Amino acid sequence: MIFLKFDRRIFQNFDWTLMVLVLSICAIGILNIYSAGFTASERQFPFYLKQIQWIALGLIIMMVIFFIDYRLIMKGAYVIYGISVALLALVYIYGYTMHGSQRWLALGGFVFQPSELMKLTIIIALARYFDDHKSNEPYKLKELFVPFLIVIAPFLLILKQPDLGTALIIMIIFASIIFFVGVNWKSFLIALAGGLILIPIGWLFLKDYQKERLITFFNPENDPLGAGYHIIQSMIAVGSGGFFGKGFLNGSQTQLKFLPEQQTDFVFSVFAEEWGFIGGMVLIIMFISLILWGLKIALHARDLVGTIIAFGITALISWEIFINIGMVLGLLPVVGIPLPFLSYGGSAMVSLMAAMGLLMNINVRKFILQR
Amino acid sequence: MENRLNLLNGPETAEFRQKFKIVSALLLIIFSILLIRLWYLQVIKGGELKQRSEINSVRFRKITPLRGLIMDRKGHLLVDNLPSFDVIYMPGKVKDHEQLIEKLKILYKKKSLQFSFDQSFPKIVKPYLPIKLEKNVGMEKVALVETNSMDLPGVYIDVSPVRLYLNGEMMAPVIGYTGEISKEELENGDEEFTYGDVLGKLGVEKALDAYIRGRNGAELVEVNVYDKEMKNLGRIEPVPGYNAVLTIDADLQKAAWHEFKGKAGAAVALDPRDGSVLAMVSSPSFDPHLFNSGIPYDQWNKLQNSPLAPMSNRAISGQYPPGSTYKLIVAAAALEEGIITPDTKFFCNGHFKMGNKTFRCWRKDGHGYISLHRAIVESCDVYFYNVGKLLGVDKIAKYAKLFGLGDASGIDLPNEKNGIVPTEQWKSARMKEPWQPGETISIAIGQGYDLVTPLQLVNAYSAFANGGTVWQPRLIKRIESIDGKTYKEFPPVKKGDLPLSKKTFDILSQALWGVVNEQGGTGGAARILNADVSGKTGTAQVISLPENEKGRRQKKIGVLLKDHALFVCYAPLKNPEIAVAVIVENAGHGGSVAAPIARKILEAYFEEKAKQPQVMAQNLTANKLNP
Repeated sequence: MIFLKFDRRIFQNFDWTLMVLVLSICAIGILNIYSAGFTASERQFPFYLKQIQWIALGLIIMMVIFFIDYRLIMKGAYVIYGISVALLALVYIYGYTMHGSQRWLALGGFVFQPSELMKLTIIIALARYFDDHKSNEPYKLKELFVPFLIVIAPFLLILKQPDLGTALIIMIIFASIIFFVGVNWKSFLIALAGGLILIPIGWLFLKDYQKERLITFFNPENDPLGAGYHIIQSMIAVGSGGFFGKGFLNGSQTQLKFLPEQQTDFVFSVFAEEWGFIGGMVLIIMFISLILWGLKIALHARDLVGTIIAFGITALISWEIFINIGMVLGLLPVVGIPLPFLSYGGSAMVSLMAAMGLLMNINVRKFILQR
Repeated sequence: MENRLNLLNGPETAEFRQKFKIVSALLLIIFSILLIRLWYLQVIKGGELKQRSEINSVRFRKITPLRGLIMDRKGHLLVDNLPSFDVIYMPGKVKDHEQLIEKLKILYKKKSLQFSFDQSFPKIVKPYLPIKLEKNVGMEKVALVETNSMDLPGVYIDVSPVRLYLNGEMMAPVIGYTGEISKEELENGDEEFTYGDVLGKLGVEKALDAYIRGRNGAELVEVNVYDKEMKNLGRIEPVPGYNAVLTIDADLQKAAWHEFKGKAGAAVALDPRDGSVLAMVSSPSFDPHLFNSGIPYDQWNKLQNSPLAPMSNRAISGQYPPGSTYKLIVAAAALEEGIITPDTKFFCNGHFKMGNKTFRCWRKDGHGYISLHRAIVESCDVYFYNVGKLLGVDKIAKYAKLFGLGDASGIDLPNEKNGIVPTEQWKSARMKEPWQPGETISIAIGQGYDLVTPLQLVNAYSAFANGGTVWQPRLIKRIESIDGKTYKEFPPVKKGDLPLSKKTFDILSQALWGVVNEQGGTGGAARILNADVSGKTGTAQVISLPENEKGRRQKKIGVLLKDHALFVCYAPLKNPEIAVAVIVENAGHGGSVAAPIARKILEAYFEEKAKQPQVMAQNLTANKLNP
């Protein structure tokens, strides 16, 4: 069976660039989470140690995915998608609630967030669909109906949790992929108009705290103790880092816990406070390198499905990085989107590692597969 | 942009390249925006924001709630709260703390004050994590730190409540003490626990912690980088804990505690009508306030490892051989099982032979022919050796268990022990050896493997006294909100019945009355003026010695090897209201050492009761005023 045949070329052409980039960013993440939790109460197993465990688990999954030919995986694309949606539905029924949001499934001793997995499976399902329905012409509105259905079910389930950030990311991934495969301009405009009409309706479904965040985004100083607190404290943290930063473990904003969610959504402000503009720049450059490498893999993939997957994954991390850092720097509203590889979180880390495994998979098989 | 992509041709066509160029360009623009913004915040606005981070910062600070008060059954305060002034240090950077401590020491020296922090300075100083330098300091130190605050950056005074135990040692092993939450408690405890919370660690403080703890409040304050408060911006009030009302009668407790000066042992007084604990003394005790100022490690070790175990509540976790107090149970078993009748007589010549072993009666010359009544009154051992031999260990155990022995009583206190009621099966499981018939002989007089806690013992007698209801001893009467409204009642809980016939009750209650009131009874020292007392003495051997050697070696025996003195009783004869057990460790005979203490407790109770009509009238008016 061609799909499972181990080939010397898999090792000869192993994607060391991607591997080294990912591991370096993860290492920065571990140091950063260590600092963010340095003065934390000693009640829990430290976050940075947990994160190391998640990275280790992620690497194993990454390697497993790397070895299975992605075309074999794509045969089961809809099954994987179905399982992910089923898990989301389970969250809706049995989900575990933290901070007023029902996002987690308890599995044995740990909790798992299916919406993180969903981001990846949406890409796989859409890639499969567009691969099955290749066209020479830009897609028209009615041709996009099935992909829309693929996206809308998880979107609504995630919005219901509520997890505005992840729901938003799902929609953006959808938009990015249909933009990439090509869409009829008229259809695009109609869809956009429909979307704009839906916004005020969607507003009604937002929780109060979400509305508040959007409103205060435009005027944070008006409400320094309420919803604007996060943005202001984050901007102070970043800004006070200056050019060289305050030094590892010495960020006063971080260590004094002025920062909300400093292990998760606001990790970048911890990093920027302690490592300054220099550190922030190095990190952003590493991210850009990763993204451009992902685009290169997409461009040189041996088949369309590989291209779409690689593009989708690259788009996913690009958008997450942009929205997260933009939010931390006060450019975008506070929506809960983690920073890839840096934010603490097991489900996100494992899903990302799986995605990286797919990228490597696609990259290495261009040397092996014949058209 | 013409969005035309020939998908059928697959990747690496010209259109694809074109598209990727566009995407890459967009990405570079977007990420440049991020970098420009980063530059703007960190380099252009950096100085300004850095100042803001140092001078004016807003943070949440925990406010410790007031712990609930603890009162006795009449509303007398047993535990109150006091403000404690703590010296706090907020280390800014990792390095600069030692110098500052030196400065503080020099300041203290000038006023010849002791600095008490050295021994527990943490190994790792984390920046911006406040350290309590000294807890519960005097006003002199408070003034000193406040006036020199300019020279002591990062040092400030914080006020938090600490416990005031109004009777100090009197109830310490029962009420317990509080202390800062430990690592294990943080990990295993309630979700809402946070670092630095104060929890009950022992006794009532621990058992009722969830009620009396209260809920942390929070405060939004503007602080500088050293955590010094600049401005208060808002506050979530802490929720004070509920108050606890115990069934303890503080006056009775005082009387009982007074009797234990210089003695080790325990006393428990119960109300046989519902199992309420009226007094519970464990001696020696400790000063619960030691923990308020953070007890130094060596002092803690000393308390923990002292052979006198001052921190253990002997009333519930001290396990003693019941000695002759066990005879009530053996007698009840023998009567119920039809082994003896009140007229059955045995001959006591001072000893009893079983195989090659000789068991002695406490009276060397023997009691002659003796029947049950006198055997209890005079506490004849040989009589009970005979009864025990006929009954067998398992029958004795069956009744002991009905009396509530061998199993924790279920009182609302941590660390209660089960005691031991041995059976043949128990021994083979525990020691992997078969039961020896000779061992039953010791069991019959409450020696051997038998172990009871003072609370179990008094509860057993209390069940006998009330005509057969075994109550679960009750220490907590109710939980009240701070305005005095009842939040939760702790009603009496019935644990079981003592299925003895009326005849057995009559025979044995007469005998117990005889112990105290008849000529030759061993418990005469417990007689009081106001009520008819019934009871039973006990002398529990710690080590058994051949009779002829006893006198000679008595002097050589260390205090720890002397017998334990026991007395357990109830009064009055009709409808008993109080049952008392007294155990004095290594003190000698029950009748001469323990019974007089029980008498004092009974006297205190009945003298108080004689005044009661007056008290009731007071209560009535109080109730009218405060419905």
